[in-house]
Amino acid sequence: MHLIAQTLVDGLVLGGIYALSAVGFSLIFGVLHVINLSHGILVLIGAYLALIFSQALQVDPLLTLPLVMAVLFAAGYPYQRFLIQRAVNQSGLGSMLLTFGVALMLQNVMIWLFSPDMKSITPGYAFASFRVAGLTFDAVRVSALVASLVLLSCLAMLLKFSALGRVIRATAQQTMAARLCGVNVPHVYALTFAVSAAFAGAAGIVIGIILPFSPADEALWTLNAFVVVVLGGVGSPAGALIGGLLLGIVSTLTAQYIGPAFPNVTMFLLLVIMLLVRPNGLLGNAFAASR
Amino acid sequence: MKRRDVLLGAATLAAPAIRSAQAQTHKTLVFGGSVPLTGAAAETGLNVNNGYLTATKYLNELLGGVEIGGEKYRIQLKLFDDASDPARATTLIQRQIDDGTDFFLGSFGSNIVLPTAAITERAHKPMVQTGGGSDAIFTRGFKYVFGMYPRATRQFAAAAALFKTLHPTPQSYSVIYTNDAFSKTAAEGVKLSCDAAGLKRLDTYELPQKPTDVSSVLGSVRSKTPDLLICVMHDEDSLLIARQMVATRTNVKLLFQGLGPQLASFRAALGKYSEALLCSTYWDESVPYKDKFFGNSKQFADYYHSKFTRPIAYHTAGAAACILTYILAMQAANSIDPKAVRDALAAADFETFYSRIKFTPQGDGDPLLMGGMVAQVQKGKLETVFPVAAKTADPIYPAPPWDKKA
Repeated sequence: MHLIAQTLVDGLVLGGIYALSAVGFSLIFGVLHVINLSHGILVLIGAYLALIFSQALQVDPLLTLPLVMAVLFAAGYPYQRFLIQRAVNQSGLGSMLLTFGVALMLQNVMIWLFSPDMKSITPGYAFASFRVAGLTFDAVRVSALVASLVLLSCLAMLLKFSALGRVIRATAQQTMAARLCGVNVPHVYALTFAVSAAFAGAAGIVIGIILPFSPADEALWTLNAFVVVVLGGVGSPAGALIGGLLLGIVSTLTAQYIGPAFPNVTMFLLLVIMLLVRPNGLLGNAFAASR
Repeated sequence: MKRRDVLLGAATLAAPAIRSAQAQTHKTLVFGGSVPLTGAAAETGLNVNNGYLTATKYLNELLGGVEIGGEKYRIQLKLFDDASDPARATTLIQRQIDDGTDFFLGSFGSNIVLPTAAITERAHKPMVQTGGGSDAIFTRGFKYVFGMYPRATRQFAAAAALFKTLHPTPQSYSVIYTNDAFSKTAAEGVKLSCDAAGLKRLDTYELPQKPTDVSSVLGSVRSKTPDLLICVMHDEDSLLIARQMVATRTNVKLLFQGLGPQLASFRAALGKYSEALLCSTYWDESVPYKDKFFGNSKQFADYYHSKFTRPIAYHTAGAAACILTYILAMQAANSIDPKAVRDALAAADFETFYSRIKFTPQGDGDPLLMGGMVAQVQKGKLETVFPVAAKTADPIYPAPPWDKKA
């Protein structure tokens, strides 16, 4: 019983982090219909920026969240507006090829800037743990989970209650109607991408404090985001959370009861089953109802 | 003057220059190959590349080239970034063979070295490499590939010998490895060596190639705690395990991580928790070997530091030794014919600053002469603790629990 509880707790903690790492990918997919293959590199840029800022400012890496998110927001807007949108206008597959190419280029730029060596962010509580009801909690992973939940909640509230959120939802649901109502759709697309990039950067900080990272890891985080979105559904923080938690729990349960070599097997098996049985994910497309 | 006379005159005038250029071309010794400068293996790939560059620069600039068969040669490297991708590496190697390259240096990672070695083998071109230890490279009957380490299943013999000398003698071990060509065969080596040393194996854990969480494995380790926990995987994964072990207070008497603690960045990331971690190493500046090129290890390291700011690693020294090994073999063969050089490499028994070089009939390093050493982190520095002849400190055993290191 204790072992199952510990495994579930570990899975939930891991899943929360997966969820945050995927939410930006999910939002772009849901609103812009773009599969952003440079998502993983945005996550890693967040991790590297957190490392730089936390060392330069001598602060806890989680405190660099606003700064990192601001930088990625500022970079994400022109990236979508002036590059991705042009590719989208040319062809349906153009955006995939473009984001893939950008990911490759940025990976090499990062190697040039930071070297290919692994880096890690080590906050003061990196090695702390605590026990509750006989279960061991890794403090750094729990803090990462809390940060993930807070950020996902913030994004959910932004989308639901703010003027920007309303415009994003309106554009995602009925692009033509939104345009007829005077919404500047290209601007909203770019803003959506910028918000997603900012959340990818935030995920990078959270990932950076729990895992060593290097520029070569970018594909892993794009792939994980893809799986989470297929499992949970497109376009909403709730879908990303459900998909992430499911992925985390499946990973740890598989590792514990089938074998540590098999989480990827069950992960992709689940992916295939979902694509066959419920291709829109557990929560479906957040914007599909009114399309 | 007729046009034909002008051309003839020009050709006559240019003839010495052409001859000189041809002579210079003939005196250039080209080493081809690929190295992972980007992608997953780039961290160590860069160390390997720096080793190749260091030896080439030194031999060309300080020694003015090398003499083989009465002729002076300058060394030229034609190394390309394979992006840690075996498919790309094989394309690059095949293209170089088509272009006439006769001698190859190895990439890093058994998953790349194995398919590229198959290509050079088919073309009967030698490859000397410091990046592939998987048994698969040395058990397929290849005659033209040579490695600077023993094959993976033989690499753990030194560590197992060390374990037998510890007091109180460790009784049990568990092994964790990732699902990749090198780690899997290295784990086989761990099991062979430790079982032969009389240690009881409690568990074997295979992780995916790129793990993100090892909580469940560490839970099992806590419930069935071995004296020794042996991790065979690449640096980044070793760090993940060490960090999660500290955070969950998963204590064992000794943690051995095949790759990881040898890197300064790894030790810095773990801080005081890196104390007493063990790892394999194949070279450090204090090894007693000498050669006619660099003199000794210290001089090699000094020259390296004068050219590069990147910390030196044993892969760097191994890579430089690949080139020295080639030169010594060519001098022994008195030829740069690939077949003659291959035969000289197979018969090699000479000393470089890196180690005494002697290959098994299958091409991997002689396990006694080129086998690994065991190093331990002590006060933040890497100290050699085995073999006795090379040791710079006594091993700390049992290692203090994580709480005591805090």
